[in-house]
Amino acid sequence: MGACRNAGRAIILLAEALLCIRYVLTRRSRREAIHQMFVGGIKSLTVITVVAAFTGMILALQTGIEMRRFGQEVYIGAAVMVSMLREMGPFMTGLILAASVGSAIAAQMGTMVVSEEIAALELMSINPVRYLVMPRLVAMMIMTPLLSFYSCIMGVVGGGIVGMTQLNVPWAAYIDNAIRFAANKDLFVGMLKAFLFGMIIVITACHQGFATTQGAVGVGNATRRTVILSFLSILIVGYMITRMFYV
Amino acid sequence: MIQLENVVKILGTRRVLDGVNLEVRKGETLVIVGPSGTGKSVTLKNMVRLMTPDEGRVVVDGMVVSEASGKALESIRDKFGVLFQGGALLEWLNVAENVALPLREKTQLSNDEIMEKVMEKLAMVGLEKDIEKFPSEISGGMRKRVGLARAIVTNPQIILYDEPTSGLDPVSSRMIDRLIDHLRNELGVTSVVVTHDLHSALSIGTRIAMLTNGKIIELATPEDFVKSQIEEVRQFLEAQFITVRGEWEKSGL
Repeated sequence: MGACRNAGRAIILLAEALLCIRYVLTRRSRREAIHQMFVGGIKSLTVITVVAAFTGMILALQTGIEMRRFGQEVYIGAAVMVSMLREMGPFMTGLILAASVGSAIAAQMGTMVVSEEIAALELMSINPVRYLVMPRLVAMMIMTPLLSFYSCIMGVVGGGIVGMTQLNVPWAAYIDNAIRFAANKDLFVGMLKAFLFGMIIVITACHQGFATTQGAVGVGNATRRTVILSFLSILIVGYMITRMFYV
Repeated sequence: MIQLENVVKILGTRRVLDGVNLEVRKGETLVIVGPSGTGKSVTLKNMVRLMTPDEGRVVVDGMVVSEASGKALESIRDKFGVLFQGGALLEWLNVAENVALPLREKTQLSNDEIMEKVMEKLAMVGLEKDIEKFPSEISGGMRKRVGLARAIVTNPQIILYDEPTSGLDPVSSRMIDRLIDHLRNELGVTSVVVTHDLHSALSIGTRIAMLTNGKIIELATPEDFVKSQIEEVRQFLEAQFITVRGEWEKSGL
C-alpha cells in the first residue's frame, strides 16, 4: 500500500515537472539546466568511459572465446555493438547516473528539506518543482541518452581493442561487422531507454529527497532508497521496453 | 489580522496543538514563548500553511489559510516574510542573490532596482559589505541576518520569526531585537516571534503568549506577563532569572 502511494506521488511529481517544462527557456531555468547537464553529465564522463570500455572488453572477450570454437570470432563486433546499443549502454549509464547523480540530488533535496530551504521557497511562492526539479529533469533527459550513446561508442572501442589484441580480429573487420549489424531500431530503443532512465533517476531522487524527515539520518535513508529504487526501476523498465520492441 | 480558531495539530500520535485560540492584531509584535517541543514553531507553520490544522482554522485578513490553495494561498503568503531558525539560505547563491531571490522570481524589477533594494535591506542588518560571500562562508548569526534581510526585502505586512536570537551572541541578539522593534515602530509591520529568550520577548513584545502542552496558558502584555501567577509562567520566568519586586518597567532597546 505504501509502495503504491509512493509511486503515485512520484508520478504526480513527474507530471508537475513535465508541466513546468514550458518555463525551461526562461533565463534562470535555462542556466540551471545547463549547469545540471555539466554537473550530472560531463562530470560523470570519466567513470562512464572506464565502465563502458571494460564492459565492451568483457563482452568481446566472452563472446569471442566461444565464437572462436566455431571460427566465427570476426563477428564479435556485431555482438558487442548490438549488446551495447540495445541493453548495456543505457543500462550501465543508468546505473552509474543513479548511483552518482541520483544520490547527489536526493541528498541535496533532503538537506534542503531538513534546513527548511524548501519551506522558504514555498513561502516566497517559488514552486520548488519548477525551481529545482524541472531543470534537473530536463538536464538528465538530454544527458542520459547522450551519455548512453557515448558509452556505446566506448564499449565498441573497448571490444575492438580486445578483438585486435586477444582474438586476432582485424580492426577494419571488427568495425565493419559492428556497423553492418547495427540497426536504427537498436539505436532508437537504446536512446528511448536512456531517456526514460534519466526521468526515473531524477524523479525518484527528488521524490525521496522531498519526503525526507528526521534530519541527517533521513537524508541518508533518502539517498539509499533513491539508489535502490532507481536500480530496480531501471531493470524493470528496461525489460519492459525490450519486451515491447523485440518480442 | 491573524486568527487561530481552535487549532489542533497532531504529529504522529502526539497532539502538538490542542485547541489553540489566538489573535494577532495589526501592527503588534506578539511573542510566543514556551518550553521546547510545545508547538511554537508548529503554530507559525500553520499560519502560512506549511502545515495544515487537523481541526480548527487559521484566518488571515478574512481569508481562511487552512482552506486556501493555488493563487489564493499565494496571495496570502505574499503578505508574509518568514525568518527561519537557521536562515534557510540557498547554499549555491551568495548573500546578495539569496536576498534578491524573491524579487527576481516574483517581480519584473530591473537588476539595478533589485540590487538597490537588496543593498538597502542588507545595510539594515549590517551586512552590506558581505554581499559576495556564500552561506558556507558566514557565521550562524550572519545567516540569520541574511535570512531577515530576505524576509523583509518584499516589504511584507507580517513577519514571522522562528527563534530569531537562538545561538547568537548577546550583541547580535540585541541587534536583531532592535530590528524587529524598528520594523514595528517605523514601518508598522505586524510580527509574530517564537523564542525561548524571555529577555528578548519582554523587550520586543507588545503581547506575550505562553504555549504549554499545546495550549495557550497565558496571553498578556510584558508588564502583566512578569506578574503572572500561573505556575508554569512563574517557573519559566524564574528559570531565566527574571523576578519582579515592585513595579516592572520595559527596558529600552
